Amino acid sequence: MKSYHDIVGDGGSRILEQVAEQRARIADGLAGVRHLVAIGSGKGGVGKSTLTLHLAGALRARGLRVAILDADFNGPSQARMAGVQEAVFIPPPSPDGFGGARGGKVALPRTSNGIGVFSIGSLIPESAALDFESTAQGESHTWRATKEFALLGEILGGFEWGALDLLLFDLPPGAERTVQYADYLGSRASFVLVTIPSEVARGVVARSADALAKGSHRVLGYVENMSGYYCRDCQAVKPLFPSTDRSSLDIPCLGSVPFDPELARLCDSGIPLAGMPDTPVSRALDHVAQQLLDTLEPSQ
Amino acid sequence: MKFLCVPCDSPMKLQTVGPPDRGSLSVVYACPECGYEMAMLTNAYETQLVQSLGVRIGPDAATAAPASGKCPFTTMVPQTEGAPAKTADPMTVRWTAAAEARLANVPEFVRPMARLGIEKYAREQGALEVDEKMLDAARDFFGM
Repeated sequence: MKSYHDIVGDGGSRILEQVAEQRARIADGLAGVRHLVAIGSGKGGVGKSTLTLHLAGALRARGLRVAILDADFNGPSQARMAGVQEAVFIPPPSPDGFGGARGGKVALPRTSNGIGVFSIGSLIPESAALDFESTAQGESHTWRATKEFALLGEILGGFEWGALDLLLFDLPPGAERTVQYADYLGSRASFVLVTIPSEVARGVVARSADALAKGSHRVLGYVENMSGYYCRDCQAVKPLFPSTDRSSLDIPCLGSVPFDPELARLCDSGIPLAGMPDTPVSRALDHVAQQLLDTLEPSQ
Repeated sequence: MKFLCVPCDSPMKLQTVGPPDRGSLSVVYACPECGYEMAMLTNAYETQLVQSLGVRIGPDAATAAPASGKCPFTTMVPQTEGAPAKTADPMTVRWTAAAEARLANVPEFVRPMARLGIEKYAREQGALEVDEKMLDAARDFFGM
């Protein structure tokens, strides 16, 4: 009797064929992107999204072509922070339909300083939770993650990413989610982990780093966010967390970024950070950007 | 998943996919050798698992009923500020067939917001019809 592997094709369901087509569409959409960099942590509340946006701004200020994909579908924040909550999505001119041979890609909303941003926050109001129709409502633990990755695939394949130096992914919290994204994005993606100066956060980030290492994923290093706070009155960086001997993370440190209440206010207001004044925070972000580029392309 | 006709040792071929019925799909396979037919009746979990992959099931998957149902965000869109009323409205914006065809180029989950945004732009221009020129003008206006 024949086995599964003796039979060519799937008898007409075309499921595997369609999954392969999805992957081809994604590869085609990302063909012009030099670097896929995912900003994750594992820990929630460490400032991944804020750092992603500010890092994109620092890279953009260097003249690089940058876009952000807000992959935190259940807690999207980039739309508000980048000022694209009211973005208008324009149907593409391609005549052969979405996913057709000639593209049919939707243009990305952009910040005033030219950073492309896709965020679910541009599609649904902040007061609404992301919901999917399902034949198995109330049993979302059996299918929801798969559905979210299918959505990620549609976003990657359906939008016009174009020629980019860096596409930054703002990942959701959760060490297991970080690894799932790593598996989905594959070997083209590199990872930056964000922590804060607390043992609790570093412990979770260490677990994420270990999980990524087990999958042979490339971890560029970590950024210590909220490494102090910048007081604009005295123009000094002061401690935010108690100073203790902290356990080390066995990955390179790309830099430390102090907390700046003014930047937090701008983020809440959706005011892009173009032309950020010269402060210890902007210098720290620029340093992280340089370290990131040096790590991605050591020869340059 | 593949199906084998054991007496013929021949792979069975998908014939028809019935419309979803309370979360269940009816997928009929037949043996090309002996003509024996069988139906796979999925439970809601199995149906949803396949739907979650973002694929369609059927002999012609490109035209078969969408496995994922309607846009996942449709029910949330009316909560968005500026959403048009469902009742007849003299300010309702019409779409030409060509503009509708271009809208079909937009991924399904973005389509409702794309429609709302363009209609809002059209109203701001004093127009009650969206055609391809309007779409091109909007693309230029928003710097895309």
